[in-house]
Amino acid sequence: MADDAHHGHDESFLRKYIFSTDHKVIGIQYALGALVFLLFGFTLVMLMRWSMANPNQAVPFIGGFLETLFGEDAQGGVITPQLYNSFGAMHGTIMVFLGIVPLAVGAFGNYVVPLQIGAVDMAFPKLNMASVWVYFVGGVVMFSSFFIPGGPAKSGWTSYAPLAVIDAASAGQTFWLVGMIFLITSSLLGAVNFLVTIIQLRAPGMTWMRLPFFVWAQFISSFLLLLAFPPLEAAGVMQLMDRVAGTSFFMPTGLVVSGEAYSAVGGGSPILWQHLFWFLAHPEVYVLILPALGIVAEIIANNSRKPLWGYRSMVYSVIFLGFMSFIVWAHHMFLTDMGVIISAFFQTTTMIISIPSVIIITALIISLWGGSIRFNTPMLFALAFLPMFGIGGLTGLPLGLSGSDIPLHDTYYVIGHFHYVVAPGTIFAMFAGIYFWFPKITGRKMNEFLGKLHFYPSFIFMNGIFFPMLIQGIAGVSRRLYDGGEYYEFSESILQLNTVMTHSAFGLLLAQIPFIINFVWTIFRKTREGEGTRNPWDATTIEWTDADSPPMGHGNFAVVPQVYRAAYEYSVPGSDKDFTPQSEPDSK
Amino acid sequence: MLELFHSWGLPIDASEHGHAIDGLLVWIHWIMLVLFVGWGLVFTYILIRFRQKKNPTADYTGVKSHASSYLEVSVAVLEILLLVFISLPIWATRVQGFPEDDASALQIRVVAEQFAWNFHYSGSDGILGATRPGLIVAGENPVGLDIKGDPHAADDIVRSKLLLPVDRNVIVRLVSKDVIHCFSVPTLRVKQDVIPGSVIPQWFRAVKVHDGFVGCAQLCGLGHYKMKSDLSVVSPEEFDAWYETTSAQAAAVAASAEDEDEW
Amino acid sequence: MSYTSSTLGAIIIIAVSVQLAAAGSISGTVKMEGKPPKAKTIDRSADAKCMELHPGDLLTESWVVGESTDEASQVANVFVHVSGGLAAKDWPAPTAPVVLDQKGCRYEPHVFGIRVGQSLEIRNSDGTTHNVHSLAKNNKQFNNGQPSGAPALNKSFDAVELMAKIKCDMHPWMSCYAGVLDHPFFAVTGADGSYKIEGLPAGTYEVTAWHERMRTRTQSVTVGDDDASADFLYQKKK
Repeated sequence: MADDAHHGHDESFLRKYIFSTDHKVIGIQYALGALVFLLFGFTLVMLMRWSMANPNQAVPFIGGFLETLFGEDAQGGVITPQLYNSFGAMHGTIMVFLGIVPLAVGAFGNYVVPLQIGAVDMAFPKLNMASVWVYFVGGVVMFSSFFIPGGPAKSGWTSYAPLAVIDAASAGQTFWLVGMIFLITSSLLGAVNFLVTIIQLRAPGMTWMRLPFFVWAQFISSFLLLLAFPPLEAAGVMQLMDRVAGTSFFMPTGLVVSGEAYSAVGGGSPILWQHLFWFLAHPEVYVLILPALGIVAEIIANNSRKPLWGYRSMVYSVIFLGFMSFIVWAHHMFLTDMGVIISAFFQTTTMIISIPSVIIITALIISLWGGSIRFNTPMLFALAFLPMFGIGGLTGLPLGLSGSDIPLHDTYYVIGHFHYVVAPGTIFAMFAGIYFWFPKITGRKMNEFLGKLHFYPSFIFMNGIFFPMLIQGIAGVSRRLYDGGEYYEFSESILQLNTVMTHSAFGLLLAQIPFIINFVWTIFRKTREGEGTRNPWDATTIEWTDADSPPMGHGNFAVVPQVYRAAYEYSVPGSDKDFTPQSEPDSK
Repeated sequence: MLELFHSWGLPIDASEHGHAIDGLLVWIHWIMLVLFVGWGLVFTYILIRFRQKKNPTADYTGVKSHASSYLEVSVAVLEILLLVFISLPIWATRVQGFPEDDASALQIRVVAEQFAWNFHYSGSDGILGATRPGLIVAGENPVGLDIKGDPHAADDIVRSKLLLPVDRNVIVRLVSKDVIHCFSVPTLRVKQDVIPGSVIPQWFRAVKVHDGFVGCAQLCGLGHYKMKSDLSVVSPEEFDAWYETTSAQAAAVAASAEDEDEW
Repeated sequence: MSYTSSTLGAIIIIAVSVQLAAAGSISGTVKMEGKPPKAKTIDRSADAKCMELHPGDLLTESWVVGESTDEASQVANVFVHVSGGLAAKDWPAPTAPVVLDQKGCRYEPHVFGIRVGQSLEIRNSDGTTHNVHSLAKNNKQFNNGQPSGAPALNKSFDAVELMAKIKCDMHPWMSCYAGVLDHPFFAVTGADGSYKIEGLPAGTYEVTAWHERMRTRTQSVTVGDDDASADFLYQKKK
């Protein structure tokens, strides 16, 4: 890089840590922001879970604080229906757009991808900085909506019109739309950057089929973000106009709201919003899951000490998955009066998209066969990902067939399904990635004992939260009921599951304490003797073998590596060690 | 599997078409169970057999057989079978199989609003009266029935509970006054979004006398959790008796109603 | 502290009432031509709690009349207020709140007046959840769920509005109307159609009556030192 000469020492604190153009610092900025928002989104759902298990009862310990914060929406510390709806909408929004996407793409992608492909930085460092700052502004807008009169958006993370448009009692939805526009812009800037970086800045010898699978996952995710987000950005602006400028893109004629004729012009279509929303939101699901699959693949190869089985078929599957994810969106909309042919089309594409997922998961399991498996903390999370993602994927089948979708649509079965994909699925993969790359970022491994103390309870409590949802779904409990179904008079045993889930959620919260301690303590503790080596996991990919731990500031590599072989050459017969780095020249 | 689902709280199936849906549900869950248990056993076996202590050196090549391809193909085949032979036919009867020739089919207009269901029956003349949004008065005329303008409107029944006869086809036309709702009747295996600006028909036939509920399955605001009405499916005799009496009462009220004055 | 302030408050109230007692007033009866349409029975079977809370039929409240003959009927729930002729002056809003209660799945009162800035205390005496949804046009709307047993909500209005509608969406028939004014010269007719606006300085005023269905009627009234009278008769449009 041109500014090689003056990296490091002569930069001001502000330039180095706040307005940095270094992809590693930006990755860390994304990571910290995303982790804070994940914790915040989790706190919201804890409060919702409390309310569902104990409707109309004051939240213990922090009820008074809630009342101070939310006034009449939390009078006496009781969560009211509108506050519940706000929390629900914001939980979804925060977890997806401010938590997991920034963590999976913004943080892991930014930090790891250039290092894995041997690039000195992202292709457009300033664009990269713009992306993280636009994300920050979007986060601030979303967060500040908690403190406006009437509270934040309350129309679900899907923000279906007309409900989202007619809410005149609060500006929360307007904040939501503005915030979304920032977050979408941030993702678009990031996506362009990843695509150019991966296409243009691969180190010599890093051919497409030598790319680590994680890079492939990020590459496809970036395509999804780039192509799927613009329609939602447009739709977001249109809904914003419906709310503030009196247009009616999504507002039909003849509405009577709260007994009074609604004054909008009319002629709009509520279904249009759903199409535009899901045209993004389904590919978005794969943006949540592909980087997770990438991380899991890295860790499984490394800790089974053998190459990934079927690397090529995994790559082709992930490309195919990316393509198919653009033509399945309307399976979220079977009940919007869908005809036979359209529903047949979307059911068929939905069944087809399950096949590449099956191929990837099967390949990962088969990769373990014949391995020499190390059960360290990142590996435990990566392994747990497989059955959890398995449940998530399988429970998608009855929802993807319109016939069985009828009883299950909009019940807790759906909630259980997608949470299995993203919570014990993606989030476990994110934890795996944090434990795995932590020594690269800080030079220090996180503590194994605390790691296991984090993993096992998390695994149990995750299932304690999400499996009962599948049961409630079969029983027909609708989602988004603030009293957890009490008014519907579901049987005692069904309602008791709410208590089970609430306790499990609390357990899950406690299970994160070892992680937080481990995380903070490892950052601030002294480096031990023998630590700070480049490659503590004996990995093959170049971010481990050719960059320091932590890597040097701008530039990453003292010498840009030359790549000679595929990404996962572990236990090569005839080799003297059980890993052969990508950058190791052939002995001949 | 169905017994298990019922023990988990799956509501009784009181509709003619519901067994096909339940059947699909059961088939899929068997496949899911077999796949999950199969995968799980292989996975556990691998983790135990190939742990580092037991197997200190990894095998570079790993699995050579193509067993997994057969597995993937068979999953695909099963999905196609379920899709083509169960799910598509269910959807075709739901969407296209309306009993249009059945003159005795009961026609009900369902008007959803925040946060209530209104069920509008045609009354003894069998013709739904005209409605106009401008005539809606909460508590008095919730669906905007045009009693003065349309002679068919006078005997119409509008109420907030759904009463249905057993063994008779029912066609509901779903409309919403304000936001998107979802007409959900678990015991009749019916669930359909109600979208403002559209009239969406649905049909079903109850085959069991029972009490259930009509719920809303789509977030519609802060009272969403309370948007529930009672459903009673009764014998044809009981239904007809109720229908005639109520319709006659409505007609009497409409007849005695003076013209609303202009002030 | 609280003693001092309440004493102070009492003094102010006395002072104000003394001042008011010295002034004139307007009273009268509001009637309509003929009889109103019969009140209808509300179908509230969707919420079993409402059936329990209000035994017997729950009737619509758009038309509530007192003595009623074929010629004329006394109309209740008419909001009568001084709509013109007042000298520009600040009339401080009382500190005591106006109470709006939700009882038996209806609002008590159905029509009320409130001052700009005055606190509106909304209670839920029912064992069911209500939501209080203001459809105000000049003021900021609000929409709060109020579960059974929840403490009262406190709201206020920032601008004059005639009339701000408040309703419950969980029980769509429940609605009530607030007349929001920046002066104290208003009243709501009782069951016998009568009202009295007190404390007016002498002068000529414009007085307006508002009814939910029959809308407004206005007349001019001159107030001397004693009671001026202003009856309203709503006549049908011919």
